[in-house]
Amino acid sequence: MVDPTRCGEVADALAEVATGAASGPDRARVLAHLADCPDCRRELDELTRVADEVLLVAPEHDPPAGFEGAVLARIAALSAQGPSSGAAAPPPPPDPGALPLPPAEGGPDAVVTPLRSRRWRRALPYAAAAVIAGLGGAGVVWQATSDDRDLAAGYRETLDVANGRYFHAAPIVDDGGEQVGHVFLYQGEPSWVFTVLDDTVEQGTYDVSVVTEDGTETVAECEVDQTGGGAGGTIDADIYQIERVDLVGPGGTTLAAVLSDDSPP
Amino acid sequence: MSDEALLAGMAAGDADAMAAFVRRHQGRVYGLALSVVGVPAIAEEVAQEAFVRAWRHAGNYDARRAQASTWLLTITRNVAIDVLRVRRELTVEPAVVAEMLISTTNDSDRVADSERITTALRALPREQATAVLLSVHFGLTAREISEQQQIPLGTAKTRIRTGLSRLRAMLEVSHG
Repeated sequence: MVDPTRCGEVADALAEVATGAASGPDRARVLAHLADCPDCRRELDELTRVADEVLLVAPEHDPPAGFEGAVLARIAALSAQGPSSGAAAPPPPPDPGALPLPPAEGGPDAVVTPLRSRRWRRALPYAAAAVIAGLGGAGVVWQATSDDRDLAAGYRETLDVANGRYFHAAPIVDDGGEQVGHVFLYQGEPSWVFTVLDDTVEQGTYDVSVVTEDGTETVAECEVDQTGGGAGGTIDADIYQIERVDLVGPGGTTLAAVLSDDSPP
Repeated sequence: MSDEALLAGMAAGDADAMAAFVRRHQGRVYGLALSVVGVPAIAEEVAQEAFVRAWRHAGNYDARRAQASTWLLTITRNVAIDVLRVRRELTVEPAVVAEMLISTTNDSDRVADSERITTALRALPREQATAVLLSVHFGLTAREISEQQQIPLGTAKTRIRTGLSRLRAMLEVSHG
């Protein structure tokens, strides 16, 4: 039974998750609540549909001449580089012809970066790819931009697809014990880890590492700017094997989420 | 051919399906991009990128979750917001644009399926409609809206939540 008071506490943030505008910490708080609250999951689903429909009010405008040809040329160029992007296909490489999105001052880059050298990266089964691509791309690092927003939108179906068994969250704390973010863990095929840091931590790049009894592996780099940040990646380990998630930032700043005591069975 | 069939074709690498999909939706996608970023050249890049992403993820489209048009517009909005966050000089007067989005002066350029949501937005108290549009179209958080509108943070949150809830109620009635 979910405490209805907690539902009230996340109601405002829930609306912002539905519109896609929620900040990282608010999104984290809502997602953590949703894991245990079917009523709020239904509410988010309905509000998201409303918010999506609001996008229809933008008036039409004819694009400049040659637009269609330019789009098709870009796609043809991408197709020539590798397999097409069907759901079962591996993620395409970063698109050199894509919209140039220079990083904001120290901020996250919108380009999705493949985890090329991660030992734990693996080919994704079709169904898992469908889900994970909805969350930001199969076998990739997710950055806290449009893909991060997709995480919230994709959550609605996440637990029902790809043989997902459970979704777990734990606080990330600094060395003084203050909570500075959340880590989310999804047990499925594949399992994944996603970290969200709030705006109180030092800005910069944090290496996200997963610690199991078998060792430590870096799974993502989390770019934190003045608004916080988030990043994650897929893992081969079952999430109950994860003892800790460490984030090592600028100047050796170490943040951690301890999971060994409260992970689901 | 339906959008769903075109998306299935795109997922299978059918260039003709992609071309048909672009022709069908380019005005709408470019229009949304232009309303968010405000600069035609950048809106064109945003719209191109949105179609590229739609092509990449066509195999993941689920008709049970959303219409193809709203799915595509969500992708467009996300690309546009990413650009706004990097190129802050583009964000001029989102509140003014929000007002214009539901102004009757744009009615001749609207697509038929937007009538329902446009009517519902106009029926909202203006400040709630503006808050919802700022949040949905421009990705502004409640805090950013409170600063731009010079209202308390709690008021901004309430306007977004209440506005969305009222829209849902109105749309449910019109469905019935």
